[in-house]
Amino acid sequence: MTEMIERVEFFLADRGIYMLTFVMLAIGIYGMVVCSSYMKKLMCMNILQVSIIFFFLTFGQKEGSTLPVAVSQTVEAEQYINPLPHALMLTAIVVSLGVTGVGLALLMKIRDIYGTIEEDEITGKGGGR
Amino acid sequence: MDRRAKKKLAGLILIILLAAAGGMKAGSFLPVIGSHQTPANTYLSGYYIENAMEHTHAANIVTAVLADYRGFDTLFETCVLFLSGIATLMVLFSKAKVKDRRAKEEPEEPVLPGEDERGRGGSILDTSFRIIVPIVMIYGIYVLFHGELSLGGGFQAGALIASAYLMDRIAPGFETRMGEIKEENMLIVAGLGTFLYAFTGILPMLFGGKFLEYEKLPFGNLVKGGAAGLHGAGILMIEIGVTICVMSVIMTILEVVLERTEFDDD
Repeated sequence: MTEMIERVEFFLADRGIYMLTFVMLAIGIYGMVVCSSYMKKLMCMNILQVSIIFFFLTFGQKEGSTLPVAVSQTVEAEQYINPLPHALMLTAIVVSLGVTGVGLALLMKIRDIYGTIEEDEITGKGGGR
Repeated sequence: MDRRAKKKLAGLILIILLAAAGGMKAGSFLPVIGSHQTPANTYLSGYYIENAMEHTHAANIVTAVLADYRGFDTLFETCVLFLSGIATLMVLFSKAKVKDRRAKEEPEEPVLPGEDERGRGGSILDTSFRIIVPIVMIYGIYVLFHGELSLGGGFQAGALIASAYLMDRIAPGFETRMGEIKEENMLIVAGLGTFLYAFTGILPMLFGGKFLEYEKLPFGNLVKGGAAGLHGAGILMIEIGVTICVMSVIMTILEVVLERTEFDDD
């Protein structure tokens, strides 16, 4: 029993975080497909983006290393964590902000024209609410 | 709970279990977290970490990658954000249908004890925001100027300053508010921030350098430290441009959304 718990702990510390990012990714995609409200679709898209950001950030980790801010002139690569995923994901966050803003604007335009942001009511299909 | 909601919940549980199983399977061939020998940590990142200080004179390696090695990419990243601000404004700019709708009439609310005619927030929100907003703004400016030396940078500083404005705009009953800013003007400011970035890139070209080659910036007499000082000045200039752009775009989106929610049939 204790051996199994140790194995589970080892797995979670080693690779378990991949499982969590995959679950977040699946929730995001599922919500974008299933939810009938466009607002909820937008929220699910944000969840999906966050999961991808987490997935990339896991690659930057190094055991026993510190933040990528050089404290001395001579720098060893082993000392600092990988800065590249951080730089990439910083730009991804900015793009997700822009996408969310444009998405909100489109939602308000849809609301203006159709009077609702429920997919069922706009397309006339489904049982409605 | 009706049948449809039950179906959705069952589907959600199923998809979570499937994803967990898929994540476990993927974890068996993805690299171990924290290992020094993964492909992402071996080939290129070591070069960046070891040479960033020598090449760019920026202690923060993320900033060195973002603003110096990959400065061209970050320029167009800023442009993408500016374009999203333009798109947001353009989608909502035509107000043909709005004029048919009734603007919300402010209801006459009874004045409760502890509040006055300034708003519904009362003294607690008034006092706390009066303390919080200046601290957030100062922290934003600190993060901006420390982008090169320690943790921080233009994007974060822009988000912080915009969040100070957001708190000021949303909290009712704030006596000394900064006032509303028109979103069209904010977008012009965002364009100026993007232009400052591009201008920092073009400036060395006029003095015999390449695009974004900070060593050829014509500030040799102003900053100390030779190449290191010039690199710091160049990185600070583009960080300021990025900050202005991010701040203005967030404020534009906020203003547009707030302006359109003041109708009573929404």
